[in-house]
Amino acid sequence: MSRTRRLRAAVRADWHSFLRRRTAVFFTFFFPLIIVVIFGVLVQTEPTGGGLFAEPPAYYVPGYLAVVVLFTPLSRVGSEVARHRDGNRFEKLATTPLSRAEWLLAQTLVNVVVIGLAAMFLLGLVVALTGAVLSLSVATVLLLGVYVAVAVALFCGLGAVIGASADSQDGVIAASNAIALPLLFLSDTFVPLDMLPAWFRPAVALSPLTYFSRGVRAATADAGVGSGLDTLLVLAALAGVFLAVGAWSLPRTD
Amino acid sequence: MTATVVAEGVRRVYGETVALDGVSLAVEAGEVFALVGPNGAGKTTLVRALLGTTDAEGSVELFGRDPRAVDPERVGLLPQSFDPPERLSARELLDYYGGLYDEARATDAVLADVGLADDADTWYETLSGGQQRRVCVGTALVNDPDLLVLDEPTTGIDPRGRRALWRLVEDLAAAGTTVLLTTHDMDEAHRLADRVGLLADGRLAAVDDPDVLVAEYGGRSRLVVEADADSDALDIGYRTERSGDALVVHDVPPAEIGAIVDALDRAMISFDSLTWTEPDLEDVYLELTGESGPAGSRSAPAGVAGDRATTDPAEPGDGGRR
Repeated sequence: MSRTRRLRAAVRADWHSFLRRRTAVFFTFFFPLIIVVIFGVLVQTEPTGGGLFAEPPAYYVPGYLAVVVLFTPLSRVGSEVARHRDGNRFEKLATTPLSRAEWLLAQTLVNVVVIGLAAMFLLGLVVALTGAVLSLSVATVLLLGVYVAVAVALFCGLGAVIGASADSQDGVIAASNAIALPLLFLSDTFVPLDMLPAWFRPAVALSPLTYFSRGVRAATADAGVGSGLDTLLVLAALAGVFLAVGAWSLPRTD
Repeated sequence: MTATVVAEGVRRVYGETVALDGVSLAVEAGEVFALVGPNGAGKTTLVRALLGTTDAEGSVELFGRDPRAVDPERVGLLPQSFDPPERLSARELLDYYGGLYDEARATDAVLADVGLADDADTWYETLSGGQQRRVCVGTALVNDPDLLVLDEPTTGIDPRGRRALWRLVEDLAAAGTTVLLTTHDMDEAHRLADRVGLLADGRLAAVDDPDVLVAEYGGRSRLVVEADADSDALDIGYRTERSGDALVVHDVPPAEIGAIVDALDRAMISFDSLTWTEPDLEDVYLELTGESGPAGSRSAPAGVAGDRATTDPAEPGDGGRR
């Protein structure tokens, strides 16, 4: 009961605190819109041609979703950790019953809701603007929701590690971008594996985003809801590890 | 009494800087203990060491236990330079911190305690600096702690708010709360604290009742006469010395100030001001931190109220000459 009470208080505070930062909320939704418009509408895909965007539009759906699933938690949780450290908030929290894991869980829950909404918005946008053909049902959408939630949790954990390691908010943003950009393009998202050198392809399996990408692609293809569940398990296991490491890395002392 | 806080030989080193060098102290249950000292003396580091939010050598016990094993419901902390989450009102912030405890005080009661009932729904960012600090103090009170730790609680708070906060601390102490506070305000320390610990260069230079500290280290009363005259120009029966642009007369009771003025008049010594000062905790601070200057250098400017009586010779009937 008391844990529920603590989590509820922390989620409520974080929810209000985030949603009232209008610029942050705006760009959470606007940034993926820009990506879809640039790559999905202006560049467009050429399934019969060569070049980067040679796959059918549906192939790139995991990549578009990854824009919010990857970037937002990394930068948001990382910055929040930096702000908490700068404002001596962790020092204060260390003397309250709220544990570091509970703090990160509260941050994660807020991110899951906000990014889940952004992902649904993005999915509709991709279908409407790029003509991507997806096999969507209630079960598929629910499964997509699970993928998004698990991946967001994973990257919240990684964001906590970045925030705890960087010495400033600027450092968090720089580190987040340095980590997220390679992951975004080298996780079987926008760049198909056969476009990468053979020697590099095994490295793609090291990216957690790869399992999100493959799972989402399998879930939205005709293969059915049951396909790709193995990737979901891998993703969930990684999320657990990253959340644990993230919670452990949060500052408790100066 | 039972000690709420016991520290033995606490030492904390950052790189080559020794922030705390073997500090030992005990704070009794229900006591108000004030830590004073110059910037960088180690006050905040000591607070952190006592609460277990920094790793320090030596031993610390709160309520007879390791600080990190203490039930957090019993402790309330206001960290130094605390900046709570953004975009939340005073009420929401207190709701947030109160929600972290199993049993919290009513938010409205805490808001009233810190004098923010009328601004409860104003975002923290749009409150004044003093109001913000009062919200922060409120976050340390939400769980009605047995041990309240306030690291510079009145920084940035106006005199009225400061006095309201002092009354609050006095009420809490009267109700049995143990209070450990740090401050640069010597009046605050003297008024609130049962005992004062003076920290300098990472060591406790003195710990005692503030009145005892003043009697032991504060020196004696002084009458500072801004006048261009030699110390031997006055034959008044009190030790007199020249310090800068002033004559400093030692150990003058307030009732004798008139006789001094008469003596100045007889000696044809014109003066710009007379300032009588009684030793206080600031003198103790200056003495023990080695920051005290030449005799009389701490004399207050004309018109300072409190325990200093100032006579402006421009006022009628004071006997002064220009």
